[in-house]
Amino acid sequence: MSDNPTQNKAETGRESRLVKVWDLPTRVFHWSLVSMVFIGIITGYIAPEWWMGLHVWAGYITVTLLVFRLVWGMFGSEYARLETFTFSPVHILEHMKEIISLRPVRHYIGHNPSGAVMIFALLFVLSVITVSGLLVLGGEENQGPLAGAASYAISEIAAPIHNIFVIILIAMIVMHVSGVILEGKLTGENLVSSMFTGLKRVPKGTPPLVHRRARPFAAFLVTATFFAIGGSLLAAFATMPPSGLRHLPANETYETECGDCHAAFHPSLLPAKSWADMMATLDDHFGEDASLDAETANEIALYLAEYAGEEWDTEAANRFRVLDPKHPMQITATPYWVRKHDEIDPETFKRKGIGVKSNCSGCHTDHYSGRFDDQKIKIPEVKVK
Amino acid sequence: MKNAKIFLITLSMAAMFAVSAEAGPREDIIAGFMAQGAGPADPAKGKAMYNANYGTGKVETPKCQSCHGATPQAGGETRTAKPIDPMAVSKAPDRFTDKKKVDKWFLRNCRGVIGRECTAQEKVDFIAFMVTQ
Repeated sequence: MSDNPTQNKAETGRESRLVKVWDLPTRVFHWSLVSMVFIGIITGYIAPEWWMGLHVWAGYITVTLLVFRLVWGMFGSEYARLETFTFSPVHILEHMKEIISLRPVRHYIGHNPSGAVMIFALLFVLSVITVSGLLVLGGEENQGPLAGAASYAISEIAAPIHNIFVIILIAMIVMHVSGVILEGKLTGENLVSSMFTGLKRVPKGTPPLVHRRARPFAAFLVTATFFAIGGSLLAAFATMPPSGLRHLPANETYETECGDCHAAFHPSLLPAKSWADMMATLDDHFGEDASLDAETANEIALYLAEYAGEEWDTEAANRFRVLDPKHPMQITATPYWVRKHDEIDPETFKRKGIGVKSNCSGCHTDHYSGRFDDQKIKIPEVKVK
Repeated sequence: MKNAKIFLITLSMAAMFAVSAEAGPREDIIAGFMAQGAGPADPAKGKAMYNANYGTGKVETPKCQSCHGATPQAGGETRTAKPIDPMAVSKAPDRFTDKKKVDKWFLRNCRGVIGRECTAQEKVDFIAFMVTQ
């Protein structure tokens, strides 16, 4: 419970004084978190795919900030401590009612009860977002410390959670900002500038405040211990090879026979049945006769079957297993392929270095591994004509 | 049996002299086609083939030039935008020197462009034209 709710300015109407409420680490935490959430949202929704690296870093820094904030919630100075803004449900409801009635509300030196609820909710929502994000990163992208531990199936559960909680987060940010504005109007305080200067105005009648000081050394020790344990745990996970990502041995016959006319596609990009059907219909291969002698065709068919989509758990293999029923042998006709490339101007595909839609290597610099990482996309800039 | 062999060798040698004075893998390939019944090569007929608009094979590839370029020297591009070396031997000296490749591509491209397999005579005519280019 907060010990120092004081009467508000309207009631006392007397001179007031400034006191230090938010310590420097709390303020730095707040604005760092704002920046990371901003970067996360921009890189998640607006920026092109190859900005994913920045998105991931914003996530890692957010986790660090969350851990720091919880530790600082125990060892920080008075108003940074979680206990100073842990209110009873009755108290919280009362405060919310006061705000909703738009009457001048009681003044709190630290966080008010509604704001406190928001802080705990934000900490929870951000934890869900970062953990689910880490699972998507590991399961879908085969990156990060959980690349080996998280399967694609896990990422299929984690991805919608990640997305829904981000929408919840945005709604909460709107509420948080509206609350700050509303509270400012009702109490006459400028809460935004307080978060920069750390100073808040308290009414003159306020008795001298007893502030517990921060214990930075204890905070440092706990944070360091946490990261040592958490870090080694993740490091242990990180030693696992990426799940479902096999080593594809080079096959010269495949690379020369198929690669003579087009890029030798990674075998994981189509399911076994598509490859088998394709090898059985080479005399009419996308409008061309691509017949091979039986021995060569057999060798390629075996290679494709052994490394077909079913044998991998990468994002591409999982996605391209869903075919277009009308074109079950065409990677560029799969619903996922179409969806992922629909914003690209058809002219872009004609650029030097790409040429046609089916030339994966034109932009996906890691096509040979079957990974197709977002960060490895590089669209050639120069136009041919 | 022995007579047939001698006949073949004679034919091969005749073919070699018909196209080039030097023996080599390309000459062996031509000799092979002659053994399949091709007569003396006629580069003019090969030229006509290269420039013809057949339209009897697959719709995507009505003529040689569809993929191989307007002239044998130009070089071309596959429908997937991969560059194709020129057909002219002067530009790409290793053209028609790999028996397996020659067989593979004549089979595919004759069926794709003309709609049927090429005769041994057509093959030697075509190669003979490209050797002069």
